Amino acid sequence: MYAGPVQDLIEELGRLPGVGPKSAQRIAFHLLKLPKQDALRLARAVTEVKERVTLCTRCFNVAEGDECGVCVDSRRESGVLCVVEEPRDIVAVEKTHEYRGRYHVLQGAISPIEGIGPDQLKVRELLARLEPEEISEVILCTNPNIEGEATAMYLARLLRPLGLKVTRIASGLPVGGDLEYADELTLGRALEGRREVEA
Amino acid sequence: MRLRRLWLTDFRNLAAVELEVAAGLTAVVGANGEGKTNLLEAVAYLATLSSFRGAPGEALVRAGAERAVVRAEVDPEQPGRAADTLIEAELRAVGRDRVMVNRQRLRRAADLVGTVRVSVFSPDDLAVVKGGPDRRRRLVDDLVVAGSPRLAAVRGDLDRVLRQRATLLRQAGGRLTPDITATLDVWDAKLSDLGETLAQARADLVGQLEPLAGKVYDQVAATAARVTVSYVAPWRDQGLAAALAEARTDDVRRGVTTVGPHRDDVELSIAGLPARTHASQGEQRSLALALRLAGHQLVTEVGGTPPVLLLDDVFSELDPERSAALVAHLPRAQALLTTTGALPAGVEPELVLRVRHGRVAVER
Ligand SMILES: [Zn+2]
Repeated sequence: MYAGPVQDLIEELGRLPGVGPKSAQRIAFHLLKLPKQDALRLARAVTEVKERVTLCTRCFNVAEGDECGVCVDSRRESGVLCVVEEPRDIVAVEKTHEYRGRYHVLQGAISPIEGIGPDQLKVRELLARLEPEEISEVILCTNPNIEGEATAMYLARLLRPLGLKVTRIASGLPVGGDLEYADELTLGRALEGRREVEA
Repeated sequence: MRLRRLWLTDFRNLAAVELEVAAGLTAVVGANGEGKTNLLEAVAYLATLSSFRGAPGEALVRAGAERAVVRAEVDPEQPGRAADTLIEAELRAVGRDRVMVNRQRLRRAADLVGTVRVSVFSPDDLAVVKGGPDRRRRLVDDLVVAGSPRLAAVRGDLDRVLRQRATLLRQAGGRLTPDITATLDVWDAKLSDLGETLAQARADLVGQLEPLAGKVYDQVAATAARVTVSYVAPWRDQGLAAALAEARTDDVRRGVTTVGPHRDDVELSIAGLPARTHASQGEQRSLALALRLAGHQLVTEVGGTPPVLLLDDVFSELDPERSAALVAHLPRAQALLTTTGALPAGVEPELVLRVRHGRVAVER
C-alpha cells in the first residue's frame, strides 16, 4: 500500500504481539513524525537488547552474560527450583520476597494451538539440571490458566517418578489469569501455601 | 436487577444511542433491518459478552468504526446496595475487548457474568426443538451459567481444552507417539474434570427444568400432554476418563474428540414421542416457548429477582391463541420487545421507541 521502507516498517510492527494492522500503521506514521534522534534511540535500544542481552544458559532467564543474576548469586538457596513460563514471571515471584531459590524458565506453556509441545519448551534442560544441582524440590509456578495447569500436570507426571518433591502454587490466584497480574501479597500467599502434587 | 439507562456507540448500525429504559415494558418498533434487534442484542451482550444471534465480536462493531461501546446503568436491586452499577463494555474491531464496572477495569471479562441477567425470546427459538443438539446444549448451558456464574469459567475452560485436544489430534496425524500420548493424557485429565463438572450441572438443571416446562407447556398449548426433558450423555455411565481412554485409538485415527459433553444432547418429547421428529409445527412452537418461559422462572428463583426479558419479534410467528397465552404467562418483569406491527391485546408498553436507519427516537 505504501512505498518500500514505510510498508516494511508497518509489516514489522504488525508482527509484534497485540499490534493489529491499524495500530501498526498508526505507530509507523508516529515514528515518521518523530525527531531523528528519538527514532534512532529506539532503534539503538532494540539493537542493544539483541546484542547484549541473551538467555541464561542455565535457567533461560534474560542475562547479560553467560548466566543470569539469580544463577550467579551464591546466596541463593540451592536444592530447590521454581519453574515459570516466562522471564517476566521471575520478576513477579521476586517481588513477593517469599522465595530464595533459583528458577527455570520454560519459555512458554504447552499449547498445541500455538504449536507448542514439550519439545518446544526447555523441559529437557530442566531434567538435565536436577542431578548436578542436587535438586530436591521443584515448585511448579506456571500460570493458573488451562495451558499453565496442563504444563504443570505434564511436568509433575515427569518429575514425581524421579523421587523429587513436586509442589504447585496454591489456588487463590485469579483463575485464568497470568502470574504477572497477580499482586505480591496474593502470589506470596500462593507460594507459601503450595501443596504437593498428586499426579 | 433493573436496567435504567443505556448508551450505545457504533454497535452494529446504531451509531449513537442514549435512552432511559422503562421499569416495565419498553416496545421497540420499526420496519425490518432498521436496527430494532440490535438494541436487544446490545443489552444481551452485557449479560453474556456474546451475541444471542451467534455473531462474532467483530461483527458487532459498526462498519468503518474501530470500536463499539455498550454502556448501561443498572440497579442491582439488592438489599444494602443502593447505588447503581455502571457497566461499560468496549468491543474492538481488532484486539482485545475491555469491560469496566464502576470505571474499574475487570481483570477477566467473565467476572461480569451475573451483573446483568436477561432471558431472550426470539423466533429462532424454534430451532431449540427442531435443530441440532448444539442448540439444546446452549439453552441448558446458558441456564446453568445464569444459575451459578462460576460455571462460566468451567464452560470457557472446557471449550479451550477441546480446541487444544482437537489441534493435538490433528497434529498427531493418526500416530500415537510416546510424546503425543503423554500430552494427550494431560488434556484428557483436564477434559474429564471439567466435563464431569459441567455434565453434573446440566443434569441437575434439566431435572429442575422438566416439571416447570411441562406445566407451562400445558398452559400455553391448553392441553394436558406429558412433556419430558432428558439429558443424554452416554459416557456418564462409565465416567469421562474411562470413556476417553476407550475412544482414544478411534479419536487419534479420526483426528477428533468423539466422546464428551460437546456431543451430548437434551431430548425433548411430547406424550412419549420425540418432539424434533414427531410433533406438529404448532406443538414445536409451544414447546420452544414453554422451555424459554420455564428457564426464565428458574433463573428468577435462583437469582431472587427476575432477569430482563428480551422479546425479539416473538408475536409475528405465533398464532393469536399462542400469542394470547404468551401474554398471559409473561412474568412481571422489566421487558424490552421488538415488533414490526401492532401489539397483541393486553400488551401495554410504558415506553415506545421507534428505530429508523439506526436512530432511536422516543415515540411515546
Ligand atoms: Zn539463570
